[in-house]
Amino acid sequence: MIRIEHLKKEYPNVTPLKDVTVEINDGDVISIIGPSGTGKSTLLRCINQLEKPTSGKIFVDGLEITDPKCDINKVRRKMGMVFQSFNLFGHKTIIENIMLAPMDLLGKSKQEAYDTGMKLLRTVGLAEKALNYPDELSGGQKQRIAIARTLAMDPDVILLDEPTSALDPTMVGEVQAVIRDLAKTGKTMMIVTHEMNFAKAISNRVFYMENGGIYEDGSPEQIFDNPKRENTRRFVRRLKVLELNIESRDYDFIGMQGQIEVWCAKNQISPNYSNRIQLVFEETTNLLIPLLKTPKVQAVCEYSSETELAVWTFSYAGEKVDITKTEDEISLSVIKGLAGSIDYEWAENEELQNCLKLNIRSDGIVS
Amino acid sequence: MIFTLSLSFLAGVVSRAEGTDTSSANAGSAGRRVSDYNGKRVGVLAGTMNDTFVIKALPDAKLSYYNNTSDMIAALEADKVDSIAGDEPVFSMAASENDRLEILDESLQDYDLGAIFPKTQKGEKLLSEFNEFIAKLKASGELDEIYMKWKTGPEEKKTLPDYSNFPAPNGMLTMATEGSYPPLDYFRGTEIVGFEVDLAARFCEAYGYGLMIDAMNFDGVLASAQTGKADFGLACITISEERKEGVNFSIPYYNSSAKLMILKDNAGAGSNVSPGSDNSFLRSIGESFEKTFVREERWKLFLEGVLTTLVITLLAMLFGTILGFLIFMLCRKGNPVANIITRIFLWLLQGMPAVVLLMVLYFIVFGSVSISGVAVSVIGFTLTFGAAVFGLIKMGVGTIDRGQYEAAYALGYSNTRTFFRIILPQALYHVLPAYKGEVVSLIKATAIVGYIAVQDLTKMGDIVRSRTYEAFFPLIAVTIIYFALEVLIGRIISRLSININPKRRKPSKILKGVNTNDQN
Repeated sequence: MIRIEHLKKEYPNVTPLKDVTVEINDGDVISIIGPSGTGKSTLLRCINQLEKPTSGKIFVDGLEITDPKCDINKVRRKMGMVFQSFNLFGHKTIIENIMLAPMDLLGKSKQEAYDTGMKLLRTVGLAEKALNYPDELSGGQKQRIAIARTLAMDPDVILLDEPTSALDPTMVGEVQAVIRDLAKTGKTMMIVTHEMNFAKAISNRVFYMENGGIYEDGSPEQIFDNPKRENTRRFVRRLKVLELNIESRDYDFIGMQGQIEVWCAKNQISPNYSNRIQLVFEETTNLLIPLLKTPKVQAVCEYSSETELAVWTFSYAGEKVDITKTEDEISLSVIKGLAGSIDYEWAENEELQNCLKLNIRSDGIVS
Repeated sequence: MIFTLSLSFLAGVVSRAEGTDTSSANAGSAGRRVSDYNGKRVGVLAGTMNDTFVIKALPDAKLSYYNNTSDMIAALEADKVDSIAGDEPVFSMAASENDRLEILDESLQDYDLGAIFPKTQKGEKLLSEFNEFIAKLKASGELDEIYMKWKTGPEEKKTLPDYSNFPAPNGMLTMATEGSYPPLDYFRGTEIVGFEVDLAARFCEAYGYGLMIDAMNFDGVLASAQTGKADFGLACITISEERKEGVNFSIPYYNSSAKLMILKDNAGAGSNVSPGSDNSFLRSIGESFEKTFVREERWKLFLEGVLTTLVITLLAMLFGTILGFLIFMLCRKGNPVANIITRIFLWLLQGMPAVVLLMVLYFIVFGSVSISGVAVSVIGFTLTFGAAVFGLIKMGVGTIDRGQYEAAYALGYSNTRTFFRIILPQALYHVLPAYKGEVVSLIKATAIVGYIAVQDLTKMGDIVRSRTYEAFFPLIAVTIIYFALEVLIGRIISRLSININPKRRKPSKILKGVNTNDQN
């Protein structure tokens, strides 16, 4: 069991890990997902002390490995790591790469190390490459060897740091197959990955990391199908989000239009569709703002790169104001033409009680 | 005359190309005066007083400086200078053996030669004994007899007292000399002889000393006596007020003069060489070969020189490699003290010409210690080679990807084991070609050890040239020997780099002792 308490890692300019406290049970297969730069790899590297944490404690089976007196080399022998860039030893053959550490560190005989090595090579399907050198292998083959090398030490925990990110897409499958088999062996595993379907298939637990912390920790079903928290939902649905705030009647309309345009271009939204997003914003605010006594509006546009559809959500404070009840029929019909439907909800308990949702259509006539 | 065919083969080629008429070959340059050479190019020996004499007599002369007499003569023969200035005894010997050379009658300056002694108590005592000795020889007329024996006598009559077997009740004396100033001091075979050596030996015999002789470049003679590395120096040294500030001079043992030497008119063609004959070229090469290697068993000089060069190179290579590696290991973990010390040392070593480093070590650092020039050379080149090796290993280790360390650490390797098992084997393979280059540079760099009384290959070549008056053959011979040494050592390292290349291992060796048939 691994227990992490208030782990923090700080560099002069960035703080990849702010405060992580979590327990990892024996046999857990944990996928760590999240946007880049949120500390996923740093968390993994702190667990085997390749990075020295700035503060916080890590316990492995009750032993505090962050204690300077702890013999970290001994701990690492029970904690394998697979790297994004394979890191096979270039001056050794494949079989030697696998035999080296068990002979050097576990005192295994050459014959023992060889037998285990060949067995592992067979399980990853590369026995015939035993006497080749790493630079004679493809990326996928190298990564399979790297996994075999890690397994040769018979570790209790295996950390995999983006094992398929550096691979040609055609080779991702072979490596994933090996990892998938590994996940069934009951070893504790932590894997940083961007392949969400893969993560969902192999793991029993998922960490969604954001902003230097574990933002949501749950089962794959929870994280991928029913995320509890907003940012997790946006990430797993691959949503791009733009947030605009209007706080007075004299808001900077032109500036906001510009912002929307730039955001659309950045997310490769087609000019046509971008135009619709801007038009809906323009018409809705034109209609809505004059109706509010003290405008306090949060306009959020979410764009899914999967479905290529955008949704505008306008949340605003104050009395119940439903623009579908307006008398300005022309504006309303323009909005309806673009959005297809307008959903209005009133929630007494929220800070911004009014909520207006407009799904923007990708077909239909732009007037 | 023995040296009637004393043309260097190159000069022979030139003369044939010019098609000079042979009938006037022996014509002299009678009537030439010193003043004719004002405004002309004049060669002088560096470190001697001759440049001041030339400037005094010929204010408009353009001076070129050379390190030894044979270089000057070569320059004169190759028309690099119009005349050369030097000491009368050395020049007359040269002119008597090379009939292209001629000395002008008129002297630039008359002066006295004296022995030099350190300004120490022991030096003062020796000085007064030596003065007494010279005064006696002068009074009896013996001094002139000895000189004439060395200047004109037949070679077999030019004998020395057997100074290596002196009983030496009063201790050993070390004499610093040059070794390329016949008839004053020069090599006959592997032995140093000459008028000055004769004087020194007689002196030691008379006063109960043993004698050891160190031959070195002229600059080194003065420095040796000044720092007390040598007990006295005898090397055709002009007595001057300026030099008296650093050393004590004996009373003069010879009244010499500075002379100008020139090439004879039409000297291009040797008297007995017939330019039209087909085998003259080959014959002159054969002649040169005989003089350079066979006569007086001079090949022994070359052999000795090669051995010295090899010893210095190989020891400096061995110790330098160890030193560079040790320094790297000290600095590897970023120890700030080790790093600063290393940086200062590297800065000093790399900023200093190797010859200066050697002289500093020999005359200053080990000035008061009795240590051979070879040992100092080994120390000096160990330092410079160590610095180079340090840089190479640092570079080689720097090329190894960070991931190799991380993979080893993650498997549980300690820092030190990671370095020796994973990093170093890969780094060494990258470094070896550059290492080979450094070794070849090292062999060539050792050519300067003549400055600190070491007779290496280059110095031996100079010594032979000073005897044969051959400008080019010994130089080319030395060059070829250097090439051979470089090829030899280069081969050894290439062999090593094949052995060290992990990918050249045989598969059967990789799995030696493992039963590979067991399918389980």
